[in-house]
Amino acid sequence: MKKRGVGIGLSFYGTGYGNGFPDVSNAEVQLMEDGKVAIFVGATEVGQGAKTALIQIGAETLQLDYKNIIFINEDTDMMPDSGTAAATRQTYNTGNAIKIACENFNEEIKKAAQKALGLNSTAGLIVKDGVVYLAMFPDKRISYKELSKIYKDDIIKAKGTFTAQTVKMDDETGQGAPYWPYTFNACMVLVEVDTNTGRVELLKSIFAQDVGRAVNPRLVEGQMDGGFAMGLGYTLFEDLNLDKGKMRNNRFSKYLIPTSMDMIDIENIIIEDPESTAPYGAKGIGEPTTIPVGPAILNAIYDATGVRVTHLPVTPENLMKAIRESEKSEAI
Amino acid sequence: MKLNTVGKNIIRVDSYSKVTGKALYPQDIYLENMLYAKTLRSESPHAYIEVDTTEAEKVDGVVKIFTHKDVPYNHHGVVLHDHNVFCDKKVRSIGDPIAFIVGESEEACIRSMKAIKVNYAEIPGVFDPVEAMKEDSPKVHDDKSNIIYHYKLRKGNVEEAFKNCAVIVENTYSTHMQEHAFLQPEAGLSYVDEDGTIVVVVATQYPHYDREIIARALNLKDEQVRIINTNIGGAFGAREDITMQIHLALASKTLNRPVKVIYNREESFLAHSKRHPMIMKYKTGADKDGYLMAMEAEIIGDSGAYCSWAINVLRKAGVHSTGPYVIPNVKVDSYAVYTNNPFTGAMRGFGATQVPNAAEQQMDILAEKLGISPIEIRRRNIFRVGSKTATGQVLLEGVPLDRCLETIAEKYEEFLELKEFGNLKAEEESI
Repeated sequence: MKKRGVGIGLSFYGTGYGNGFPDVSNAEVQLMEDGKVAIFVGATEVGQGAKTALIQIGAETLQLDYKNIIFINEDTDMMPDSGTAAATRQTYNTGNAIKIACENFNEEIKKAAQKALGLNSTAGLIVKDGVVYLAMFPDKRISYKELSKIYKDDIIKAKGTFTAQTVKMDDETGQGAPYWPYTFNACMVLVEVDTNTGRVELLKSIFAQDVGRAVNPRLVEGQMDGGFAMGLGYTLFEDLNLDKGKMRNNRFSKYLIPTSMDMIDIENIIIEDPESTAPYGAKGIGEPTTIPVGPAILNAIYDATGVRVTHLPVTPENLMKAIRESEKSEAI
Repeated sequence: MKLNTVGKNIIRVDSYSKVTGKALYPQDIYLENMLYAKTLRSESPHAYIEVDTTEAEKVDGVVKIFTHKDVPYNHHGVVLHDHNVFCDKKVRSIGDPIAFIVGESEEACIRSMKAIKVNYAEIPGVFDPVEAMKEDSPKVHDDKSNIIYHYKLRKGNVEEAFKNCAVIVENTYSTHMQEHAFLQPEAGLSYVDEDGTIVVVVATQYPHYDREIIARALNLKDEQVRIINTNIGGAFGAREDITMQIHLALASKTLNRPVKVIYNREESFLAHSKRHPMIMKYKTGADKDGYLMAMEAEIIGDSGAYCSWAINVLRKAGVHSTGPYVIPNVKVDSYAVYTNNPFTGAMRGFGATQVPNAAEQQMDILAEKLGISPIEIRRRNIFRVGSKTATGQVLLEGVPLDRCLETIAEKYEEFLELKEFGNLKAEEESI
């Protein structure tokens, strides 16, 4: 028989290396010959969208069209160390480093423009769309392209470093401030359980994710869909069938991961609450998006069947076992 | 604040190259005069080994077989250096690298690999972390205790607080090992450039770390190693530990020729970490109004044969074990434990993904006992601005969990109606 159930799951997630370990990101910014601006960071694009989101943060600070930014993040000979692409840390940590580097760059290019324009001071100079101009007399202006020609032997560049703040926990009590910032979310699902087969089908879901500020809302939704799928697979399908240290399910014909056929259209809701220490308020969301999905499904399975599944994964076989055990204990 | 670029749905800058197949991964790159390689891996979860490569070296097309004897510093690891670049005396899990066969073709490497004689003298293994914690259990790393790490969280007085709870829920939960299952299995190539720099082309999460670890293993300066990171077909934590990076650098440095290695899916499963299975014993208590009073948890994480990030993962599990709720009295002990299982490490959520499977079910069980809804019990206990976590951290800002909860709460009735509708229909059909 088919039985439906509703379940919710909430989570919090501390981002960054944490626990007082120095979490440092570096960025370098440089004017290129054609008037474009290059950003060099060691932040890896693993598919999460770092390259796009970090270009957007840079473009915002430089007040430049993102198409005029050259982003280099592939070669240790060219880029500074920006830490690992993990711990949901690149948007917040390297985003901050890029913002600082770009702010420093804006000051450097203003100094260069002051000299080139024969001004007394950088006061009142504005950078906008690849031009430096004086707000009170906009005819006093020079483009990045012109500046790059003048300063070709003395490249205009700047650096930025950001170090996140955390406090190591006490060894005996665990007291401390291990992570910052934290990201929050809530997920609700409606499932249908076939109590004859143990199959769990997802029917509907709403997922609210705190992001601080969404640098790129569509990419946030992409993470939410992907995170949901990974949580779904973890809870219902994926089983290595470990036997004395051997993975019996060591290929995709046996190790089942969710496909588009298993996914539904999730109602993703982005909750914005800009974080003051973050670049434009943006917090990381890569890992958190996968966390509340499993708990919501487990609670929904209970709501549908009255059976608490305490051992993952909830494969049809395992769920049938749990249902039978619960029937047995009720009969007694 | 008026923003021009932040907040805009700019199309991913790497999308065009990826959807048109133009994006290069290490698999796609071929260099002149390039050699191929294969990795011989342990077939036993726990054994002393003797390796004889004499016959294998005679196979036509084989250039060199690398083993532990060729590595200046035969250790690596993201926290502890408990991995061997190549196992010397002992293997600790199935899949441990033993040798790296380099030859003129992949076929030659495979033929040679089959000709390597490995004598396994089996040692009793331990596959259950609870067993592994016992003093008389087989030890995975020499005579060291299998308990790698113990995190303690203490706040208030749980014993006293449980006495005053109206409801208490006790359960043991467990989660399993998970594979990252990214699209692109590991591959890489290496070469020596004109000025003698060892260049390793890989798809990795942290190129500067790879550079440092290669340099240390081969006794080089960081500047003598260069990492070029190609496009990356997913990572999720599995590209943090070293896989083939040192093998490739060693081979190119020794042979002064480009070398390429590609793992197939089965080898990829063996080569990288997994999500930690955890056993989570929970006791949670609330007062009659549904306010959480106390929580006690014991969490045991299976690190497999190597530590990788186990210390950080079990610490993170401990910190997040309360769920996003204010609990005045908390006692948590989490342990990271060696076994002879495949090693576990970083995976999306990093310890914070396992614990909510316990904590969130505890919340629902408490709510049911108290006769309040799952939404309501959370409403009464969630972190808000100014809340203090179990570690004593004050959440000064950026805590919109109330908004997240209310967003889904608005749809709660609608979801319940759909549930009832479906259940009625199913009942009718069954009649």
